[in-house]
Amino acid sequence: MASTETATAVEVEVRIGANPETVFDFFTDPDKMIQWMGRAAELDPRPGGVLRCDINGRNVASGEYVELDPPRRLVFTWGWEGEDSVTKPGSSKVEVLLAPDGDGTHLRLIHRDLPSAESAERHGHGWRHYTERLSLAATGADPGADPWTSPDGAGDKS
Amino acid sequence: MDRVARAIAEPRRREILALVRDSELSAGDIAAGFDISRPAISQHLAVLREAGLLSERREGTRRYYRAEPQALGGLRDFLNEFWTDRLERLKLAAELEQQRRNKRGKHRDSNRGRGGGSDRGKP
Repeated sequence: MASTETATAVEVEVRIGANPETVFDFFTDPDKMIQWMGRAAELDPRPGGVLRCDINGRNVASGEYVELDPPRRLVFTWGWEGEDSVTKPGSSKVEVLLAPDGDGTHLRLIHRDLPSAESAERHGHGWRHYTERLSLAATGADPGADPWTSPDGAGDKS
Repeated sequence: MDRVARAIAEPRRREILALVRDSELSAGDIAAGFDISRPAISQHLAVLREAGLLSERREGTRRYYRAEPQALGGLRDFLNEFWTDRLERLKLAAELEQQRRNKRGKHRDSNRGRGGGSDRGKP
């Protein structure tokens, strides 16, 4: 896992031991998406189709699919619902690139068109967004909300 | 969580956090920057401290405050953490799914009587 950041983008890379076809489905199939993100997902995987993911019962991520080129690439818009959101639904863009890598996949995720630190600060949003941050971090730390916290993914706490 | 949301909903408390973002200040220093009563400032400081956004250090009778690091993360830090964590989960889920698919593939192959190691599967 490696990550880099530029002024208005975040980029994260990961190598996955599954082929691009398998990985791609995790961005378009609601049952698969909630295995790695959120509690419920509403996905209409075609250009202009909705992508809505209830992250933790409080924070809802929302956007639209822009481009789908299975199993190599997909682009969707992204933001958080709610008045306090710094990143409004549809206001930023996520590009996912899946390149075959041996019998696995090299995944690059680039989240761009983020509001700049200055504009967020200027609009007084600088502080508000960590409502999002903290509540999401809390979810990430809660194994009950997400079944994939251990490599075998099964039989954890009960 | 609600405690944090409430704590930062008040503009003065956000200003206080901004003041102690990079440097530790005494309650008196903080109060000097506002035109509200000292008890009101103390109240704000207590709310921020209870929300875990502010740490307090006592030295004699003086109290010093500093913003907690987790209160200061920027949007990019947050998203970087968010996606890194999610993609780690995605990796585990996709790899399990791949194993399942491979197993199913093998079953299909052996039922059809072709593919690697298929002759063992069927009479």
